[in-house]
Amino acid sequence: MSAATAADRAAAASRSGTLTGAASLLRTTLKHDGRLLAPWVVIAAALSGSSVLVYPWVFPTQQDREALAGAIGGNPALGLIFGPAHDLSTADGFNAWRALALGGFLAALGAIFAVTRATRGQEDSGQAELLASGVLGRGSRLLTAVGMGLIGSFLLGLVAALVTVLCGGAWGPSVLLCATFTATGWMFTGVAAVTAQLGSDARTASSIAVGTLGVLFVLRGFAYSVEAPSWTIWANPLGWTMETRPAAGDRWWPILPTVALTLLLLAVGFALQARRDFGQGAISPKAGPDRGTVRSPLRLALRLNRGPIITWIIAFAGLGVVFGYFATSLPDLAKNDSGLQTFLGADGTTSKALVSAFLVTILSLVGIIAAVPGVQTMLKVRGEETEDRVEPLIATSVARSRYLSANVLVAVGGPTLYVLVAGAVVGWLASGSGLGVTFDDAFWQAAATVPAVWTVIAVSVAVVGARPALSLAAWLGVLASFALTLLGPTFGLDDWVLGISPFWHLPRTQATSPDYTGLAWITLFTLGFLVLGFAGFRRRDLARQ
Amino acid sequence: MSASDAVIDVRGLTKSYGSFQALKGLDLTVERGQVHGFLGPNGAGKSTTIRVLLGLLRADGGDLRVLGRDPWRDVVPLHRRLAYVPGDVSLWPGMTGGEAIDLLGALRGGLDERRRAELVERFELDPTKRGRQYSKGNRQKVALVAALASDVELLILDEPTSGLDPLMENVFQEVVGEAKERGASVLLSSHILAEAESLADRLSIIRDGVIVRTGTLEDLRGNTSTTIRASLAQVPDPARLTVLRDVHLDGHHLTASVASDHVGDAMEELTGWGITALTVEPPSLESLFLRLYEDEGTLTGGSAR
Repeated sequence: MSAATAADRAAAASRSGTLTGAASLLRTTLKHDGRLLAPWVVIAAALSGSSVLVYPWVFPTQQDREALAGAIGGNPALGLIFGPAHDLSTADGFNAWRALALGGFLAALGAIFAVTRATRGQEDSGQAELLASGVLGRGSRLLTAVGMGLIGSFLLGLVAALVTVLCGGAWGPSVLLCATFTATGWMFTGVAAVTAQLGSDARTASSIAVGTLGVLFVLRGFAYSVEAPSWTIWANPLGWTMETRPAAGDRWWPILPTVALTLLLLAVGFALQARRDFGQGAISPKAGPDRGTVRSPLRLALRLNRGPIITWIIAFAGLGVVFGYFATSLPDLAKNDSGLQTFLGADGTTSKALVSAFLVTILSLVGIIAAVPGVQTMLKVRGEETEDRVEPLIATSVARSRYLSANVLVAVGGPTLYVLVAGAVVGWLASGSGLGVTFDDAFWQAAATVPAVWTVIAVSVAVVGARPALSLAAWLGVLASFALTLLGPTFGLDDWVLGISPFWHLPRTQATSPDYTGLAWITLFTLGFLVLGFAGFRRRDLARQ
Repeated sequence: MSASDAVIDVRGLTKSYGSFQALKGLDLTVERGQVHGFLGPNGAGKSTTIRVLLGLLRADGGDLRVLGRDPWRDVVPLHRRLAYVPGDVSLWPGMTGGEAIDLLGALRGGLDERRRAELVERFELDPTKRGRQYSKGNRQKVALVAALASDVELLILDEPTSGLDPLMENVFQEVVGEAKERGASVLLSSHILAEAESLADRLSIIRDGVIVRTGTLEDLRGNTSTTIRASLAQVPDPARLTVLRDVHLDGHHLTASVASDHVGDAMEELTGWGITALTVEPPSLESLFLRLYEDEGTLTGGSAR
């Protein structure tokens, strides 16, 4: 039904000229913004291709593969990200476990940013006004944006599939796996088309879309990890792609509902778009105060990040509930899972070291996620600069170092708070479980994780301060930490490689004699990055690309 | 005049972006208490010069003094004494105009409350709207109120009226005049010549990264000509019009130009033919500007552009 309405609407629209000029606009946009899609395509292809490439090399024997299955089954925290492992005895099965959730996540992020950029982003910058006043139908810009998302996601799946097959993947499972990337990208093209109509600027629009993605992603991992009733999986669109089970049944039919949902969301998006005024959202702003209370760079930084800070605190409290509740259900899960039994100890009581390892993994994950808003805050500093809003501030009696330190304080302080909030909630919930974890155990481990989060954020301070043209490099810390901390161990990498991630150096605070020297080392790097950032920001020209 | 009287003193300023040379040895002096017009077309280097003066960009070479200090090293003490209005004002989308005024004012070291209220009134600014709701002109008003409500010695205004309507443009001229009466010096960059003409004590004209002319309006007008349009009772004999140049006759209508210090002689010549209608246009900066650029254009016309 939804498909029919969307098609009818599109047909009717093109007759009345609402879509005039969409084709040529899409061509131009692809030419100019197409390269911005490339990183997502490359990372997704690398993720999937690398699995099948390294699998036979890292796990050559049946014994190795069983050990891998045991290790993954024994660390339930991994399931929160990757979902269930159906069959780890083949390269394709391993790839399906390792790449399905993350590949879809990447495709969805790429699609959200592409759609938001071509709709709200353009309206904010005034570019769209130029276009809208040209010979261009009312729906054409949204159609172009949607086109970018759909084509981008399709290319992402296509390239990833070809690369995977070239790397040695079997055709059937590889194509199905990469089709789930495309399907996820399509659904979130639809989500972004709707949110671009709701929020009244680009940041709000993409935040709502990314938030939706994040919530569904966490709920999916949680549903699989705690073996929730199957309706919870089917109620989640991300669960549909998981249920295709590449290399473990190869089911194509769950792709169908994803396409239907995409069409439904697009129909809603176009309907909303036809109704709203240019540059306005469904939520229109009210008149504000005529006098201001923000009178220092720090207050300004807090004010500009107020919305995100509140949202992230709630998100991390939620994350704490998910992880903490997960910890309480571990003993139950252990009863019918041999991997977990070895993890928890045969008699149900757990050794201190194992619990500590579990906490370290879970809180490292929290820390890595918490670094993301920190990096975003720093990138916002760059955004403010290119929007010409830093210049008038520096032209007052605010020194550059004072401006930057106010923002660094917010970039570092926010995530510190998030990790502690999540740690407290995990501790509170886990202390009630049969794990033998006390509140203090969890909270101190969370506190010990914080310096590693700082190191990751400091990388972005250095980039924004000294080499802002390479702003994508600000994500290097997050990327390296994520890849090495979560994916690294399954590849049997050497310690010196794993040690690149600051999270590798975290102390196990419940060990009988915790070793804190690692924290000193990573803090040294944090300081080094900060010095680079501040020195660079003091010396460089402002607001020059 | 001694160098200590200059609020801005620039000698041989150079600045490049990569291989593109934006400023090629620029000299600029602004005397205390004066309004100095800084004129030139888009892309001539006006904003780059101003950004160097504010310490936002680092000069590659040249001597540079603003209020007697080095704008790159002495940023904080220097910026307490000046206010800046950028050409393209960008406000925080979620903050109201009133909040932005108070923020900028506080960071500059406080503003005059009475004058703030008065300026908001005179510019007819609604300070309760959010940054993203303002038009270009209203965003400029916010920056102007913030700058003019603070007690500073030097105002640096980069094309401050490009989005204002003519009424507001008048208000702007008034308030800049009042700032001058308070003793402030003003560097006013513009490509609107009329604005500089009525406000500026001295003018500098920039082209391609160097100052090509500088002086008072009279200095600059010195070698320009006045345009005369006249309707005459009798058709004159062009051979007997010796003072007039570029004579163009259309029946009884005459259009011609005359060196500005020979307007009297021209009148004497024309009276003999019986003047029925007459307009005498003093040399505008516009014509000076056009001539300057035409000259330069023919000079550099051969070079690849």
